Amino acid sequence: MTARGLVQLEKIVKKHGSFEALKGIDIEIRPGEFFALLGPSGSGKSTTLRILAGLDAPTSGRILLDGKDVTGADARARDIAMVFQSYALYPHMTVAENIAFPLEMAKTPKAEIAPAVREAAAKVKIDHLLDRKPGQLSGGQQQRCALARAIVRKARLFLLDEPLSNLDAMLRLATRVELKKLQRSLGVTAVYVTHDQEEAMTLADRMAVFREGEICQIGRPADVFAAPNCIEVAAFIGSPPMNLLTTRSTAGGVLIGGRHVPVAASLEAGRAVVVGVRPSAVRFDPAGIPVTVEVVENLGDAAILDLTLDGTPLRARYDRFPLPREGETMAVSFAPEDIHLFDPTTGRRI
Amino acid sequence: MTKATTLDVPVGGRADPARMMEGRERRFAAALLAPAFIALMATTTFPLLHLGWTSLHRMDLAMPFMDGFVGLDNYRELLGDPRFWSALGVSLVYTFSTVILQVVLGLALALLVNGMKRGQALFRIVAILPVVLSPAVVGMVWRTFMLTPEFGVVDYLSMTAGLGSHNWLGDPSLALFSVVVIHTWQWTPFAFMVLLASLAALPEDIYEAARIDRASPWLCFVRITLPLLRPAIVMVIIMRTMVALTAFAAIFTVTGGGPGTATEILNLYAYRKSFTELSIGYGSALAVALLIFTLVITGVLFALRRAK
Repeated sequence: MTARGLVQLEKIVKKHGSFEALKGIDIEIRPGEFFALLGPSGSGKSTTLRILAGLDAPTSGRILLDGKDVTGADARARDIAMVFQSYALYPHMTVAENIAFPLEMAKTPKAEIAPAVREAAAKVKIDHLLDRKPGQLSGGQQQRCALARAIVRKARLFLLDEPLSNLDAMLRLATRVELKKLQRSLGVTAVYVTHDQEEAMTLADRMAVFREGEICQIGRPADVFAAPNCIEVAAFIGSPPMNLLTTRSTAGGVLIGGRHVPVAASLEAGRAVVVGVRPSAVRFDPAGIPVTVEVVENLGDAAILDLTLDGTPLRARYDRFPLPREGETMAVSFAPEDIHLFDPTTGRRI
Repeated sequence: MTKATTLDVPVGGRADPARMMEGRERRFAAALLAPAFIALMATTTFPLLHLGWTSLHRMDLAMPFMDGFVGLDNYRELLGDPRFWSALGVSLVYTFSTVILQVVLGLALALLVNGMKRGQALFRIVAILPVVLSPAVVGMVWRTFMLTPEFGVVDYLSMTAGLGSHNWLGDPSLALFSVVVIHTWQWTPFAFMVLLASLAALPEDIYEAARIDRASPWLCFVRITLPLLRPAIVMVIIMRTMVALTAFAAIFTVTGGGPGTATEILNLYAYRKSFTELSIGYGSALAVALLIFTLVITGVLFALRRAK
């Protein structure tokens, strides 16, 4: 019972004709973990979730739930709950009937259904809406109804397909926190698909970053953020994304703006490298490399400065007021530990 | 509201130009509508009223000297007429069996075709063919090509299956069954097309949700598909019931109401009374009875539609 919800995907391939939507992915999700599948649209994350749910069959590969091979099993046989991006509520049933539906299908005794429905509805704070039809609910309430329908059955695995993407920004932030609390209190394994790296960063215990049908990196959000293992992940994680400058290495450093900047990694001199620096890691230092301020994006408590460094664009986070004016010249420097190095041909981290 | 109206009254006492414009526009609209409205009244409402008026008369072309106003005599006679009750019974059997068959078969076909990944367009085209044929033509085709004893397709199949040759239209016990089959054959595609369109419009994601919720295919159908199709099914039932109650051409060409009165629906009885026996007054009363009957059934169906 304790190890309920172990998920293993082994070499999953999914082809649509000649197009390979998934190119052989491996994931292991531990019981009780909140696991995010992150990637841009068309990267294969939703396909992975659908295959995990049993809605689609993989072209090859194996799916194991709690150590048992369920590759050939239909969604009905997998004991999985899912929240759809569209919510997929039954339009002709009331909220209570929607939430009760999975219990009825599981042949739960009638006497147990009503209290279970009320409990699930109370957990997502829609117990006052039980008699409404989905058409009479707001987007946020529909989303909660879909959540209640998913949690009422206490399935071993909880799948969420971009559940927050149809909510407005304020509601999304609030629901995100509640979702995390809900998952913790239920202790259930959750797999969460999103294209929003902020959602994945804040919610997930671990995440897999997808790109073009492959997984670039799996790890804890903080680890992925601190050490992206390829250019794609570096460019995708973080807001605003990491600055990537193509340059050459020198002895013990790299050339940025014609100057030698020391790096932590040991590099042979003269090789082509891509230097990555997070906007928040750009330091303003009068003795540094001169840059020109092109645009100032004021966020209120900080600003994003769009700079040009020797002709190449560079973005930096700046939180000292007053803010510089557009057209002004400043100077920046980079600490060796803040510099990420990538191989321009393979895209891999050096 | 009163305040607004008083404000609208022009100070100088002259007519409000806005209101004049409105009145002129309304008169112009009425003038444009008039021809269509008059044509409609002349071809539908007036004959209907005339029918009601005729039904209160004795109008017998065989005995014109007896003609005259008789009040409700025709209706009194009708209530004691066993042939009227028999025709009413045949109408009921004909209507309910054809409508139920059309909905059940149409729904089954729609479910089958909706599940097909290819060839749906072909089925839609094939399905539309019987519907566009004239019922009279359909009747002729079935009488000659399908149901002729020994030579018809159906009889041939019946003989091959070891059920023997039957006089499908001449045997009183088979004739009603045969005309029900003909009507069902012609009009099931209508139900099929309406239900297929409704089925195709149902969202796919709720079926995926139902699979996740572990609903069996049968429960998906009963708990999701049927309730969501209910408006379309009710609409098909209403439309087909109204048409079946007033069916005429197919039965007229196939059996003419016979043998005897085995397939004589109310509509045919009214026709035979009026134009074969030339008793137009009594025939009109029969037609009015059919009208009342149709209105009552339609009213009940619409009430059912609104319920829940």
